Amino acid sequence: MRVIAVVSLVSAVVLLAILSRATRGRAASPPQIVLRVANWGSPAVESSFMTLEREIRGEFERQHSGVRVQFEQIPGFGQYAPKLLMMHVSGSVPDVVALDASSAAVFINNGVVCDLAPFIARDPEFHLADYFEKVVQIFRRDERVYSIPLDFTPMMLFFNRKLFDAAGVPYPQRGWTWNDFLHTAQMLTTPPDQPGAAPRQYGMHFMNVMPFWVLWLWTNGGDVLDTEGRRATGHFDGPRSVEAVQFLTDLMLKYHVAPTIDEGKAAGVDLFRAGRAAMDVKGHWMMIDYRADGLEFGVVELPTNTGRPSTVIYAAGLSIMSKAQHPDLAWEYIKFMTSRDVQIRRVASGLAISSNRQAAARYAGTPVEDAFIAAVEYARAPWGATVERYPVVEGLGEEMMEDLLRSRAALGVAVELHHAAELIDAALTEP
Amino acid sequence: MKHRHPTNWRGYVFVAPATIYLAVFALVPMLLAGWMSLHRWHLLKDDHPFVGVANYLTLARDPFFRNTIGNTLLYAACAVPLGVLTSLAVALLVARQLRGVGLFRTLFYIPAVSSQVALSMVWIWILLPGEQGLINFCLDRLNAWLGTGIPTDTNFLGRPGWAMAALVAMSLWVGLGPRMVIFLAGLHAIPEPLYEAAALDGCNARQRFWYITLPQLAPTTLFVVVTTTIAAFQLFTPVYMMTKGGPRRTTDVVLYHIFNEAWQKFEVGMASAQSYVLFAIILLAAAFQFWIMRRGLREEAVQ
Repeated sequence: MRVIAVVSLVSAVVLLAILSRATRGRAASPPQIVLRVANWGSPAVESSFMTLEREIRGEFERQHSGVRVQFEQIPGFGQYAPKLLMMHVSGSVPDVVALDASSAAVFINNGVVCDLAPFIARDPEFHLADYFEKVVQIFRRDERVYSIPLDFTPMMLFFNRKLFDAAGVPYPQRGWTWNDFLHTAQMLTTPPDQPGAAPRQYGMHFMNVMPFWVLWLWTNGGDVLDTEGRRATGHFDGPRSVEAVQFLTDLMLKYHVAPTIDEGKAAGVDLFRAGRAAMDVKGHWMMIDYRADGLEFGVVELPTNTGRPSTVIYAAGLSIMSKAQHPDLAWEYIKFMTSRDVQIRRVASGLAISSNRQAAARYAGTPVEDAFIAAVEYARAPWGATVERYPVVEGLGEEMMEDLLRSRAALGVAVELHHAAELIDAALTEP
Repeated sequence: MKHRHPTNWRGYVFVAPATIYLAVFALVPMLLAGWMSLHRWHLLKDDHPFVGVANYLTLARDPFFRNTIGNTLLYAACAVPLGVLTSLAVALLVARQLRGVGLFRTLFYIPAVSSQVALSMVWIWILLPGEQGLINFCLDRLNAWLGTGIPTDTNFLGRPGWAMAALVAMSLWVGLGPRMVIFLAGLHAIPEPLYEAAALDGCNARQRFWYITLPQLAPTTLFVVVTTTIAAFQLFTPVYMMTKGGPRRTTDVVLYHIFNEAWQKFEVGMASAQSYVLFAIILLAAAFQFWIMRRGLREEAVQ
């Protein structure tokens, strides 16, 4: 028995050795460069968009013989930036990374991604002017360009046309105010069947996600930080911001036109998508889902009290890691991915607006698309593009909002905002 | 004298793998963390200025860090006694020679061999509000059946208080198996003649438990209490998976806070200081428990 075991073990080892030799020999025959490309998202979600992206990467491989694009998806909400930064520290980095404008500052300020201006200067085929100036600016520091914008979306107010029609409420129009909005939301809220229960239909969907609600501060003339992005006191707790946050909490607690945190959680679905909330503030990417569900929606600028509209642009760009193995090839890849023809195909899904103006023009002409593109004029960059610790600010802001929404008998919005502003100041100034 | 030397040498060879492993992967990182805790050390910045004990002084003033210490102590104060009592009770039940008892021992042990991440996912589904959550679903059926009006929309993981209670409940269930096995071993090690003698003296079941089982289990109990305490102070995975420290930082425990400091904010100097504070707390807690237990044993010996 023992002899047989030993013999079979030895032969297995020998066989394995031969096999590994053989496969290694085969793989080594064409010299291959592996270009590592990282993006956020979960590899488990298979969609037609991902199939398309794979095809596009395949084309790049065919155009560059001997090159294999290794696509690395990094899953987990909020885990993308930390993971890439860890890769940077450890020295094993992807060559090309997708950069989210709202977390770009930490990459740019610490030299994690490199300046692309020299690549642009060397390359006669590439013109930065082909891209939306506003979006390019997000990733730019003076003459240094850290990312070539891929696509972007201003945040807009979506409304469900069917619910508006059913309630006989006119669609919201440009230039509407918060009062108009509140009035509209009230008309679209259906009271519950029995007292004390949740409304059957809400006028507005609300989630405590600061990147979504920060816009309400802006449309009231308030803000989170000063123009330099260094202080929150005097701004986040300023009268305009206090008014805005008071209005938001009133939507849930006083007027009950938006779901409370627990109601939203208990529903277990996106209430707007499910047709149980008439309005929501979201980005272009949601249109993929809305269209798939057959939701009839319209898009309008956010209601404003300042006399002029305001919103944020969330954008994605492609960057080269400063420790990349193949920077020149990485540049070729970025050029390819942001080129007009590839962009036209990429944004066909409705994911976002192409930052390549010619590609974006291809889809313009519909009311929805034109509303989005019109917003580029007045939209702002997210704070996270310039303030390195902005994720901490957002964490504190969401905690404060949660406090306000949970305890009706709290000290009041002004006190809570002042407290949060002091915490933010401490977080921004601590060494 | 002559044959002694090679024996020593061989002994060192045998302990070398474990020693080298511990030195490289435990001792050196520990010392390095101590060194880093004395610096302002951001992973992405090149300069790491020496700041002495400034990080520790900052921690002493930091309300968020004090909050994490409070949360951790609260969790340990609930999870340790409850965990030890429940596992002792279950161990007493399954220690009996009954048919099918092996099945129960296995069942109780299963959580211990499962991934904490998977277990957390299961608990999220148990605790969700409304129809999706198992508890709320059962409450809903109960309401329909008995006509009671228990609310079924409790968001257990989203309510301060409930979230911590949920973490404690989960820890009782996850830690049950290993603690039970240790208690079982302790129970089986109690010499049978003690019980026989007690029976002859006319002891009833409660007296046997009180005067034989419990004192004889003292060393086992000490071990279980100490390991459970250390595990409680090192709570991480369920928090990371289920609550992210929320709601309102009521489940922001020290280890989760350290993780965020190091791998979200990249302040590894500050994170190292926090680790050392946690280390000191665990050391003190363990020393205290040993002291208590040793005093108890000594008193018994005197009696």
